[in-house]
Order: sequence, then C-alpha cells, then structure tokens
Amino acid sequence: MKRTSLLWLAINSLALAGLAVASLMITTVARAATRPHYGGVLRLAIAGPVPSLDPADATNVSGQTAIQRIAPLLFNTLTTLDERGEAQPSLALAWKSDFSSQRWELQLRPGITFSDGTLLTANAVAASLRVANPRWNVSPQGDSVIIQSDAATPELPAELALSSNSIVLREGGKLIGSGPFTAAQWGPGKSLVLSARDDYWAGRPFVDSVEIAIGRSPRDQMLSFELGRLDGVELAAEQASGAVAGGRVVNSAPDELLAIVFSRGVQSPEEGRLRQALGLAIDRNLLNTVVLHSAGEPAGGLLPNWMTGYEFLFPRSPDSQRARQIHEGINQSSAWSLGYDQTDPAARVIAERIVLNAQDAGINIRPNPAASPDAQLVRIRLVSRDAQVALSHLALMLNLATPGSQRASSQMTSSPSTADLYAVENTFLQTQCVIPLLHLRTSVALARNVHGWSEAQDGSWNLPNVWLSPEKP
Amino acid sequence: MRGKMQPTVYNSRNPRMPSRPIRRSLLFSFLLIIVSGWAAAQTPNWHVPEQQLADKISAVTGPGAISLELANRSSLTRTQAEEIHRGLLQELSSLGLRSVAPEEAAATINISLSENLREYVWTAEISQGKNEPAVVIVSLPRTSATDSGHATPSIILRRTLLWSQPGRILDAALLNGTPQRLFVLDANSVTIYQMLAGRWQPQQALAISHSRPWPRDLRGRLVLRKDHLLDAYLPGVFCTTAAGISLTCHESDDPWPLGVADPPLNAFFASSRNFFTGALTPGVGKQTSAPAFFAAAPLPRDRYTLWLFTTTDGQLHLLDGFTDQSAATDWGSEIASVHSGCGSGWQVLATAQDSDDSKNDSLRIFEVPDREPFLIGQPTEFRGEITALWPQTDGASAVAVLHDSSKGEYEAYQLTLACDQ
Repeated sequence: MKRTSLLWLAINSLALAGLAVASLMITTVARAATRPHYGGVLRLAIAGPVPSLDPADATNVSGQTAIQRIAPLLFNTLTTLDERGEAQPSLALAWKSDFSSQRWELQLRPGITFSDGTLLTANAVAASLRVANPRWNVSPQGDSVIIQSDAATPELPAELALSSNSIVLREGGKLIGSGPFTAAQWGPGKSLVLSARDDYWAGRPFVDSVEIAIGRSPRDQMLSFELGRLDGVELAAEQASGAVAGGRVVNSAPDELLAIVFSRGVQSPEEGRLRQALGLAIDRNLLNTVVLHSAGEPAGGLLPNWMTGYEFLFPRSPDSQRARQIHEGINQSSAWSLGYDQTDPAARVIAERIVLNAQDAGINIRPNPAASPDAQLVRIRLVSRDAQVALSHLALMLNLATPGSQRASSQMTSSPSTADLYAVENTFLQTQCVIPLLHLRTSVALARNVHGWSEAQDGSWNLPNVWLSPEKP
Repeated sequence: MRGKMQPTVYNSRNPRMPSRPIRRSLLFSFLLIIVSGWAAAQTPNWHVPEQQLADKISAVTGPGAISLELANRSSLTRTQAEEIHRGLLQELSSLGLRSVAPEEAAATINISLSENLREYVWTAEISQGKNEPAVVIVSLPRTSATDSGHATPSIILRRTLLWSQPGRILDAALLNGTPQRLFVLDANSVTIYQMLAGRWQPQQALAISHSRPWPRDLRGRLVLRKDHLLDAYLPGVFCTTAAGISLTCHESDDPWPLGVADPPLNAFFASSRNFFTGALTPGVGKQTSAPAFFAAAPLPRDRYTLWLFTTTDGQLHLLDGFTDQSAATDWGSEIASVHSGCGSGWQVLATAQDSDDSKNDSLRIFEVPDREPFLIGQPTEFRGEITALWPQTDGASAVAVLHDSSKGEYEAYQLTLACDQ
C-alpha cells in the first residue's frame, strides 16, 4: 500500500486508542446518584425466532430484530456507532482508505481474546468478514485487515458496525465471540443463558448472567412479567401505550418502517397514478392513533426524521378527494390483493383499515394473507443509525435496486451529504414500489429494580450497562 | 445501635412535614445563596448556512418577489430561529429577492429548520405557479456551542465550572498559586492546565499505563500532595508524579485516601469493581472495617471524627470508632464533606437516589449535628447525571463531575458552600 495514496481518517494510532477508550467511557456512563451494583440475573424475553446465534445468518429474516439484540452480547464488531450515528473504534482501533474509498485498512486492537482464550488475529477477522460478505475481498495484513470492493464504500466504517458484521470464530460448528458475555446454555429457538466475562476488554458487565426466553408471544411475555418471572419484556405496538403493573415502559426512537411494498414495478403510467392515489387515500394518522395507540409516527419517507432531518418533506397527509380525482381520471380498473403477516394481530387490522381508505377513493383492494399478493404490508427494522447504511439496507430489503436507483445508489456512496441522501430517497420513492405508512417505536417493559437500561436508536440492547438494585433490607 | 435512627428524617421533601429536622434547621440562621457558575450561552454564527441556502433558493427562483415562511422543527430556540429568519431575508435581499405579501409573490418559499443526529438540516420548499415544489437543502454540524443557551436553573450551592470535555472525567483538582493549575483525571491520562490570560491552557498530558481492562463504571481519584505534585488512584493502579513533571504508574492494591481528616483514613478499592471493599487502614478508632461502600465522608468532632459511609446495600453507616450505626436512607451513592465554616462547620453533600432513571441528578446538603442528618435548603438540580463526587485536598470544597448527555460533555465543577449572614 502506498502510504502517500492513503487518506488517514485518524491522526495516529495512539490518539485513536485514547479516543477508543474515551468513546467507550461515553457509552458506559454510570451515575453516582446510585452507583451500579454488580451481580444478579437479568431475565428477559423476546418474541422473534432465533434458530441460530450466527449474526451472519441471512436466512433468519423474521428474527432480524432478535438477533440484532442478542449478537452484541456475544460478539463485537470492528466499529460501533455513537449517539450521533458516527463510527467509533471497537475491535478496530483505526482505519484508513485510499482516495477512491475502495480499499480500506483497519488496524486491530491488540490483546483481545475470544471467550475461549484464543487471541483475536487478523486472520480470524478476515475469515469472519468473508462469511458475512462473500462479495468483499478481505485479507489479513500483519495486525490489520484489508477490505477491497469494486465500488466506493465511504460508509464502510459505519457498515462494519452492523451486527451482521460481528466478528465470529467458527470452530467445529461452534460460534465463539469476543463480546461481554458467553453462551452458557443455548436451546436453539427456545432459551439462551449468558454469563458475564470477567476478562471482557471493555469492562465486565454488571450483571452475572442474562437469561433470555426466546419465541415468546408478547402476551405470554407480559403475563410472566406481571407474575414477576421476567425483568424485561418486549411490548407489541398496541401494548406500549398502556400502564405496566410493577414496572415502567421504555420506548425507542421510531426505528421500524411499516410500509406497503408492491411485488413488481410500475407497469404503466395508469398504474403509477393508481399507486399515487392509494398513497393519498391512506389516513396514516388514524392508523397510528386508533389502531396502534400512537406507537409510531406517520411516515412519508423511508427513513424517520430523527435520522435524516428531511422526512417531513415527503407528503404523508391524506387527501381522499385528490385520490378520488386521480382514480376517476384513470380508465384502467385494477383489483389488488394486499398481503400481511397472519401471525401479527395488528397487521390484519391495519390491512383492513387500508382497504377501507382505498375504497373511499374508489380503489379496489382486498386483504389477502395468502402467498403472492400484489402488495404486501411489511415491517422492516432499520439496521443502523447511519442514514446512508440504513437506506442502503432498506433498498436491498425492499428490492428497490431498479436501474434508476442503482445510479442513485452509486451517487450516494460517493457523496453522502444530506441533500444527496434526500435525492436518493426521493428516487427510491418515485419508483412507486413502496408506500411508507408509519415509523414504529419498539418498547420494553422493565421491572423497577432494573437500572441503566439503554436502547440504541437502532433497537439493540446495551445489556453490559444494565444493573439490578438489591432488595431493600 | 442498629435501627435507632429514624430513616424518615432523610426523606423530608415535603416542606409542611412537622419534622424535627425542620425545627432544628430553624436554629441555623443561614440560607445558602444561589449562584450560577454557568457560562453565558455562546452565539453561533449562522451566516454561512444562511448564505448557502439563499444561494440555492436564488438559483431556483432568480431575482423577484417572494413570500417566505419559516418553521422551526429543531431544538433551536425561538430567538435563534428568529435570528436565522432575519439573516435569510437579508441574504435573499442581497440576491435580488424581495419579500412581499403572499398574493403578490411570484414564488412561495417554506423554510424548515430541522435536524438529525449530527446536523442541522435547513430545507426550502419553493413553489412557483402550478409546478411541483422544488426542494433545496443545506446542512451544518450540530455543535455543543449551538446546542447550549438554555436558562440556568436555580441552585443551592456555589458551583464553578472547572473544565468540560467529551471524554469521561474521573476527578479534577485545583492548585491555587501563580499561575493557577488544574489537573484533570480521565481513563488515559492526567492532563495539566495552566490559567493564562483568564483561560485554561493545556500544559501537559501525563499518560496512565495499565495492563488490565478498566472495570465498567470506572472511578479514579486525584490527591494533591505537599512533598510532590500529586497521586492518582485508579482501580488496581497507583500513579505518582516524580521529579520534574512525569507520572509513574504501577499495578497496586494500595488503599485510597478517604476525605480530609486527622488522622487520615484509607480504604482498599476492589480493583475489578466500582466500590471499596470495606477494609480500612488505619481504621476509625478501633474499627478497621465497614461494609463494602461507594463513598465516605468525615465529620470532625471535638474529640473524634465521625465517618459516614454509603454502602453498596443502599444504607448509610456512621462509624465513630466504637459503634456502627446504620439506616436505610434515600441517599445516593456519592457523598463528600465540605468545611464551610457555617453552622456546625462541616456539611455533607450527597446525591439522591434515582428512582425513575431521570436524566437529571441533584445534590443535597446535610447537617449532622449528632447522628441524625437533616436536610438544609432545597436540592440543587444538575442538568445531567453526576458521575463522580470527591472532596478536595483542602477540605473546603468538593469536585462533582456531571455528564450532560444532551451536549455529550463531561463537566467538572468545584463545589463550595457559602453562608448567608
């Protein structure tokens, strides 16, 4: 690597080592009002299916939220995102790229061990990243890792913070991490018991262990919580606004997109106008307040306003009169089917409400939970606080990589200003393949003895900082 | 002696409660004055983004009559938004865009002052005729300077901002002299600042070496010395200054000094945790141990020193050399005693237990004339979380470290008590 051709993003390793520790300390704020107590067992439950603990397992789409929460407990990533969504050192102390942002060199933090005592090496990191990103060209180089790609990837440091890019040592079918906990017991898809690592490089977690019941419905979780068998449970959107006996509710920023996604691109100008009419016919505010008890915010854009600052520019107010006018001006009559997740009780109600709104505008659409509908009601969690990374992931999930958006995507990676991001998102929306409806919050109920709980804006749990207050004598 | 104390006396938040503490408090004819140590809000410079946005608008509309509306969707104050509004009109005017009534305008411009995690985002939706509105956007980094500027709440003790920085401050110590020096301890170093021309200028950063990972909730203490500059105590690590200004650190489980008392008292700190083990040296009189504790504060008496300990089980223990009294209180983990010369001479500063994970902590002042602490005045609210509270070497002040998450900064304050004669 020609040093002269490199753009160092850090001044030097020493400074970044200091920054790494400093940033770590920022994320582990403990207050003196009541200092954290060590010890105890934290009992949690999550709904999502977790057939595997492998964060690189792309097949577990429905359990994305669950693995996003569990993975950081067992594994580390090379970078983490701070409160502003900016990449900070984690297993990587420093990084640099060439001017084209296609070749990155990441210097690893020395002295890190996996939970089995194996030293973290560049070889192990490269092998792990190759599994998660088969298209990347990853190679070890001394105490650094080189990542090369065909296109410019200025957002790579933020992308490396995704839980799917966790560093995993895969040995004989075992998954070994360098995270704050180790898996003491694992009942695939049912339960997980985690033990705190005394030698964790960023400081031992406060609790001794964490017990996670997996695949429990929100109703079951709440029942166990009210009986005092769980210290923290997830709340379904419609539960979040209610009071919780024996605890308190903590809400995240809106970090999940609820949207209608069409199964194919627009086939004719008439169909495009019909989709526009549907977007105008839906009363998002009513969906949010009546159906979901204000568990989110009406959405006009793919990304929420806290992430971009421009989301309000995309129209989201209903205009049934205009929707009707558009529909009446179209000769083509269309009957769409709207699919939804049958296991989500709220989804059916939302779908029915959308059908009603559409019918008011004269649009023929019927709910159909069966396979292959014309449009599908989907909920997609935003995987990153970095707007560019989150938008790229959404585009991938929503299959928005049309020729037009590919050009936009290329532009996005090379010029990540807010104005450019707006242009890219606008391009995605103009494909009319997706109609954003709401940005939903995720909520958890916590027992009163649970302290230090913080949920990142991408919904991941920061359990190493959680502590349990002792019983009063 | 256990259980003799009345826990309720520590909870007297209700001013109408006819409690003994309040009657006793009337014996003291002082009130503590309220002094703000906050610096005045800085005025950010909006000129550049105003100019950028005006240029972009002008590129769409060209010169002519416009109607402009501005909505503030950000954390900027109303005053700041009005200032930006005026600045934009001025910039637009210089580009030939005149502000007129909506019915006379060739273009309608809706400005929104918004924000995301990192930036202020200013948007302009420009409507001309029946065309789809054009959108232009400028963004600028959000800084702590632009985020500040809110009113300061009343406080009950004198607090002086010593230093603030993004990284966590563990302790700070002020050395009066010419020039005045400030020492700031964090996880990596002791940084020395010197007061020059009314500002703290960095003089030297002395690195702290350690081989084991720091525990979560890292704590550390600086102690100024008479025979050398200072000592720094961190979990499992002791650092001391040598000839010249250099810092030597080594792994050590040596006890940390507690408070300012004669005779001095030291306690062993659990090197992988955030508390003292309870082992004391040389001890409080004949007592060489206390329950594991977070903080201790001495209150000198005529013939002995009463030591207060906030223990890890949430109780307050008072050791006088012979007895160990305990009580459940609503005190937080951190305490420090300060010699004010008011009242009994010494008071205890104590954090309050946080029951609802509130983002703001408070400090309270207690008198302990015998064995029963009672509250003086109202709690002092801090805009953030108090992460450390240590007594200063002179005994007349303490240092509190505050984490203001809204600014992402740690702030070290010197706390002193003043009498209202």
